[in-house]
Amino acid sequence: MDKSLIKLKVEERTIDESAKPLLERTLEEGIETAWDRLEKQQPQCGFGQLGLCCNRCSMGPCRIDPFEKDGPKRGVCGADADLIVARNLLDDLVTGAAAHSDHGREVVETLLMTAEGKSQGYEILDKEKLYTVAKEIGITTEGRNDTDIAKDIALSFLEEYGTIKNSIDLSKRAPEPTQDKWAKAGILPRSVDREIVEAMHRIHMGVGADYANILLHGLRASLSDGWGGSMMATEVSDILFGTPEIKESWVNLGTLKEDMVNIVLHGHNPVLSEMVVKAVKEQEMVDLAKQKGAKGINLVGMCCTGNELLMRRGIPIAGNLLNQELALATGAVDVMIIDYQCIFPSITQVASCFHTKIVSTSEKSKVPGAVHMEFHPETAYDTAKNIVKLAIETYEQRNPDRVKIPAKPVKMMAGFSVEAIKKALGGTFQPLIDAIANGSIKGAVGMVGCNNPKIKQDYGHVTLGKELIKRNILVVETGCAAIASGKAGLLLPEAADLAGDGLKSVCHALGIPPVLHMGSCVDCSRILVLAAELAKALNVGIDQLPLAGAAPEWYSQKAVSIASYFVASGVYTVLGLPPKIFGSKNVIDLLTSGLNDVVGATYAVEPGPVAAADLIEKHIDSKRKDLGI
Amino acid sequence: MKNVFIDLEKCIGCRHCEVACAIEHSSGKELFSMYFEVPRPQPRISVKLGVDLMTFPNKCQHCDPAPCMEVCPVNAIFRDVKTDTVQVQEERCISCGMCAMVCPYGAIQYQVRPNLPNEVAYKCDSCISRLENGKEPACVEACVTNALVFGEYNEIIAEKQRGISLNLTREIQGYKEEEMPENIKAFRALQRKVAQLGPLPSSQNKINVNEKIKGASKRWISH
Ligand code: SF4
Ligand code: SF4
Ligand code: SF4
Ligand code: SF4
Repeated sequence: MDKSLIKLKVEERTIDESAKPLLERTLEEGIETAWDRLEKQQPQCGFGQLGLCCNRCSMGPCRIDPFEKDGPKRGVCGADADLIVARNLLDDLVTGAAAHSDHGREVVETLLMTAEGKSQGYEILDKEKLYTVAKEIGITTEGRNDTDIAKDIALSFLEEYGTIKNSIDLSKRAPEPTQDKWAKAGILPRSVDREIVEAMHRIHMGVGADYANILLHGLRASLSDGWGGSMMATEVSDILFGTPEIKESWVNLGTLKEDMVNIVLHGHNPVLSEMVVKAVKEQEMVDLAKQKGAKGINLVGMCCTGNELLMRRGIPIAGNLLNQELALATGAVDVMIIDYQCIFPSITQVASCFHTKIVSTSEKSKVPGAVHMEFHPETAYDTAKNIVKLAIETYEQRNPDRVKIPAKPVKMMAGFSVEAIKKALGGTFQPLIDAIANGSIKGAVGMVGCNNPKIKQDYGHVTLGKELIKRNILVVETGCAAIASGKAGLLLPEAADLAGDGLKSVCHALGIPPVLHMGSCVDCSRILVLAAELAKALNVGIDQLPLAGAAPEWYSQKAVSIASYFVASGVYTVLGLPPKIFGSKNVIDLLTSGLNDVVGATYAVEPGPVAAADLIEKHIDSKRKDLGI
Repeated sequence: MKNVFIDLEKCIGCRHCEVACAIEHSSGKELFSMYFEVPRPQPRISVKLGVDLMTFPNKCQHCDPAPCMEVCPVNAIFRDVKTDTVQVQEERCISCGMCAMVCPYGAIQYQVRPNLPNEVAYKCDSCISRLENGKEPACVEACVTNALVFGEYNEIIAEKQRGISLNLTREIQGYKEEEMPENIKAFRALQRKVAQLGPLPSSQNKINVNEKIKGASKRWISH
């Protein structure tokens, strides 16, 4: 391919400077990436994009003519466009909720095994959180030792997945007016697994034909994720590994090091990766690395496993979703450890162009071409050490001539858990509430979600983020969105200079960035807790706050669940890519306006970042007006 | 003149037409067996991405006079009088590429056929055996949105003209009836924006890398 064309292509694909030289390499060497695959997938089927294709049963697959003229208006079973779109959306949503919640369950199980003394290498690091959570869910702490309390928490949380309790404890964290809305709409979440299983039941042929009823269940299932599965993942990870505190670190592909053994931790679950962090510190490992000629072992994160480690340990992070293949294309990665979610099935193919080994660790998530070293809490530390050893051995096979590490890493700040934010504010949320009340901060936006190659990498996140802070709107972020902002330098206190005067002065006074990194995608639950805290302080429901959500570059089913629990919790949420609902006018109407009467918030779709900022500002202004501030 | 009329606005890129075409030109005429045929039957209609995520189903339009037919040095291309379609006599083809060069639609490609030594010209044959049995072409039958309509051109156009007259006069009378459902219009508008923000071809971006790379330029589009 012509050099100038490669340059143009690269510019169309990303704004991440550290990604550009590597994208160039993949194009020059014919290493296939997600962008190439997107191109090869064109054109993509319109029925699928509109949500009008139903492939549920074997009378089908069926599709509905979107032009309402002469083509079919119902599937073989009689389902119309509204029903097919609603069932498809519910399917996507609970796939996402299941992913978050199943991850949560594994963390809770690790807590249980730790409490029972059956796990290897784990301990209860955050006793304060242990007690807080115990109190919240009615577990006595007095005169009991930590492991007993931990065991009770774990068992009680595992029950949140079951069907006996019929309510989710942590959802009581929501302010009362919000809970009342849920009760009135009949969407109080009952249990994590129950809502997901019931959703699978409901999308079977012939279980209900009312699209609105199906979508309402979607909201309930999403609540069982946000205030259930995801929140348990966050809280129990905090108990085991510590609640994040504000810290500095580095981000982008430049965090990989030429003269060190490079291990990339990719995926979502911190349970194994925390052990890897421990293992690389062992003198035995460091010595072994040096013996092989490396200066040491360099551990970096990728996607949300990376976010977990960054938040708690300050481990540098190499990038977000679309960086995973490019990290491998540096030729400098010795081992990439994967757990699950958002791992491109193609990574072993990219790795095979170099000496790199992919190590899969979850029984659920095997990838052809990967070395499988299965992780279990009982043997976690041994497994971690074995993987690190493998990385050191693999380092020996690295071809220095093939190593291409771009750019220098960018400095960033992370660790803004709700607790850390409160501490930064001086131990109470009052200063933030005052700043919102006096208008120096207009409101806040939870910006979350992924990369999607259909949109130039990071462009959506960064442009919308800048646009919002300019308008004195504080941005809190998780997931790939936060990593994007990190790469663009927005997670630094200096970035406050890009903010409007009000937000700028608040940031300067507190020494914080205008965009706060709150964690991984399960940590969107932290955003819910923050919103609940603010609402309770003002004695209102979450829907009355000057808040919004945004997912400018989302791709995953998990993002559908997040957007849904934001909306169900009362947070107006703007999506940057159209969800697969445009085949049904009724579904669009319900989601973009009808829901206002049910949960006090709606979804919106707006790809243009500036236009999205306009929508959000307008929403925030109207909420401020209603609050009389 | 009977032919396939393409209603561009209704094509949503599902590629059912491509699959149906390949099945029709397989020996088993059935999806599952088709996958085991060697060489695997190829579609003779091709749906490609345009700007703003719009798509165009492209195929031989059975021109008259047909440039391909006129240039073929060995008379391998002929007009079937009964169906008024342009057909390739594969055994005669010498793979010279002339027809492909002159076809204004790029509708001719080359493929290996059973029992022939060379890669020969293949293109839409308007499903001639179906036509002879009074059926419409496979792609038309497969197209759920009716982006492909088979019929007497003048009749299809007369129908279209009636629609246009109704719409225009309605509009003048202040009563506008949208041809396109609202939700689809909203979707198309979003697609236009998405194309602008990423690597897929957009009508708004000045430098269109994909067009350049694929070698598709105005030359091919503007005739
Ligand atoms: S469930 Fe109904 S619409 Fe879906 S494939 Fe079966 S028959 Fe078709
Ligand atoms: S079947 Fe119809 S809608 Fe689908 S790609 Fe072909 S022409 Fe377009
Ligand atoms: S192959 Fe091309 S030139 Fe020949 S009849 Fe078809 S469209 Fe016309
Ligand atoms: S390629 Fe075959 S059909 Fe086409 S002009 Fe040459 S000989 Fe004729």
